[in-house]
Amino acid sequence: MWLWFSKLGSPRWFYELSGRWLPWLYGAMALLLLVGLTWALLFVPEDYQQGHTIRIMYIHVPVASISLACFPLMAIAGAITLVWKMKLADMVAKCVAPIGLWFTGLALATGAIWGEPIWGTWWAWDARLTSMLIQFFLFVGVIALRSAIESPDAAARACAVLAIVGAINVPIIKYSVEWWNTLHQPASRISMDAMSPNPPEIWVPLLIMISAVYLLFVISLLLRTRNEILVRERRSQWVTDLIARSQS
Amino acid sequence: MSAGTVPEVSTWGAFVATLRRDLLVAFKRRNDLLNPIMFFLIVVTLFPLGVSPDPLELAGISAGVVWVSALLASMLSLDNLYRADYEDGSLEQLLLSPQPLFFLVLAKNIAHWLISGLPVVVLSPLLAYMLYLPEGAYWTLVLTLLIGTPVLSLFGSIGVALTVGLGSRGLILAVIVLPLTMPVLIIGAKAVTDVMFGLPVGSHFALLGAMLAVALSIAPLASAAALRISVN
Amino acid sequence: MMPDTDPLLPDTPPAAHAEPLLKVQSLFCERDERVLFSDLSFSVGSGQLMQVLGSNGSGKTTLLRIICGLNDSYEGTILWRGMPVTDQRETFLASLLYIGHRVGVNRILTPRENLRWSASLHTPVDDLRIADALARVGLKAFEDVPCRNLSAGQNQRVSLARLLISPATLWILDEPFTTLDVYGVRELERLLAEHIDNGGSALVTTHHRLNVPCAVERLNLDGVEQPL
Repeated sequence: MWLWFSKLGSPRWFYELSGRWLPWLYGAMALLLLVGLTWALLFVPEDYQQGHTIRIMYIHVPVASISLACFPLMAIAGAITLVWKMKLADMVAKCVAPIGLWFTGLALATGAIWGEPIWGTWWAWDARLTSMLIQFFLFVGVIALRSAIESPDAAARACAVLAIVGAINVPIIKYSVEWWNTLHQPASRISMDAMSPNPPEIWVPLLIMISAVYLLFVISLLLRTRNEILVRERRSQWVTDLIARSQS
Repeated sequence: MSAGTVPEVSTWGAFVATLRRDLLVAFKRRNDLLNPIMFFLIVVTLFPLGVSPDPLELAGISAGVVWVSALLASMLSLDNLYRADYEDGSLEQLLLSPQPLFFLVLAKNIAHWLISGLPVVVLSPLLAYMLYLPEGAYWTLVLTLLIGTPVLSLFGSIGVALTVGLGSRGLILAVIVLPLTMPVLIIGAKAVTDVMFGLPVGSHFALLGAMLAVALSIAPLASAAALRISVN
Repeated sequence: MMPDTDPLLPDTPPAAHAEPLLKVQSLFCERDERVLFSDLSFSVGSGQLMQVLGSNGSGKTTLLRIICGLNDSYEGTILWRGMPVTDQRETFLASLLYIGHRVGVNRILTPRENLRWSASLHTPVDDLRIADALARVGLKAFEDVPCRNLSAGQNQRVSLARLLISPATLWILDEPFTTLDVYGVRELERLLAEHIDNGGSALVTTHHRLNVPCAVERLNLDGVEQPL
């Protein structure tokens, strides 16, 4: 177990392993995305209340669920950075922040697009949208801190502390916003909670889309991390060899 | 040389001395003491000017206005927390104390709250009156601020500790700290609004108290870790 | 503090060199992709004064900060009385006094108030000792003047007064002579000599030629011996 752990910490090992995974991941994502999108956009029956607008859900829900996973992931990577000083963990923490910001932004945008036909407004201080917005700010804070600190080592640890504090705060924010909001906006609640008794032709494509977008997330994280590895290890022998090989 | 004396380990002594020192520094610099309060007053004044002097409209937003202003005043005064100590080297002395850093940081945070938070709490009824807050909600406002403003100081401390070594801090402190303080604002302001509508607010106070407890136990730890990183 | 190894006890033989107080083993440190030092090993025993030399940017300050624990981006081991400092931080810090580039004197407070706080972080002392210490470093009549009204050298003296009120065994001083005048330099040399005489030890960075009655060990970070 320990051996595995220390091996995983080696950027080179990770680079080579992820290089072998990537083609499979690309293939799986393309397949799932094709099936999921076709099914969701063409074959899913119209919602009796929302009509065709329900199809936005097949993008919005996967994107939102991933954006929620990003902060805990960043905090865990940060904790590993602080405790074991594992360089790879910090690279992941650094790379997941902008992706998390993007996914949170996408969740906000798709939420607004969905909200317009349903609520008649692009923006509502709905509990989910509001806590998404605050999470967006938290990501902005982590990224701003990272870019403000010059020393990579200090930046890594400072961001780890902020990510952990933020991750403790995320559930508090979520519950306080929901609690603040209960009186105001039951709308989104209905559309979400109505999911469970739905027939399989609605949730199976949703599941496929969630898997596809998760793969997209994993691929972007891997690509970013691989770049980061190359940048940070640029002086080491294996990266020099790699560059020499790619140029010849 | 006190040859042979065993060092007397006194965490409480170091805690009190640090608290007293920070208060002393603040009292010797009257401006630092007055500026957050003046800032608080001015921000509150902006709202009637910008929104409307109408008593009904003001009463509706008064709780939020006082709370947001308290939040901003706390933010403004945060910069003093570790800045001077970082620049003159006192921070290194603090980190090299054999006493637990947790309590020394806590002492500094308490001092910061006594300087910037408590005056705001004391002044809040006056401002509430000027904003036509219904009389029944005064005590709720004061009490929520009394429990909530220490949380602002504690969370703010983490942000300052993380950014104290930066040459150009600009607004990064606000970007980091403000999102963390939003739950306190939500609950504090809502408690006051709910009281105005005659709703029970016991759960609000329970939540605020829980946040204070969490902040007291976690924030000094995070601040201490952040200070070590910044000094490194 | 274990009484049998306490160097401050007068009956401790000076041969305590055998068990060094501070031992640094194969220290490696890299900053901004530049190796500052690698495989650096040395030890400081009780009654030993070590002068750290090196050109600008050779890592003198970094070395001192690493030993204090202010900087932890290094590889290697630092032992205090035979045990890693990381396993006994409080014990080590209780025997350590560090004065850095930034001397740790608040400019708004007076020398007396500054010393009171410094002492309370380690071992509280009464005001009489503080007044004595300030008088000894030549700050009599300046006890209650805000430090911002004092000169840089006087502020340095405030920090040096800490040496007098601290029971620490190990002094780590980073360029303590820079702002001192001739009398200040002489006074600090006397303080160092007394401390060494009492069985304490010190690690000092300076380019100044130390004029002390005791032996001065030299640690050169440049690797080449340079004329003093």
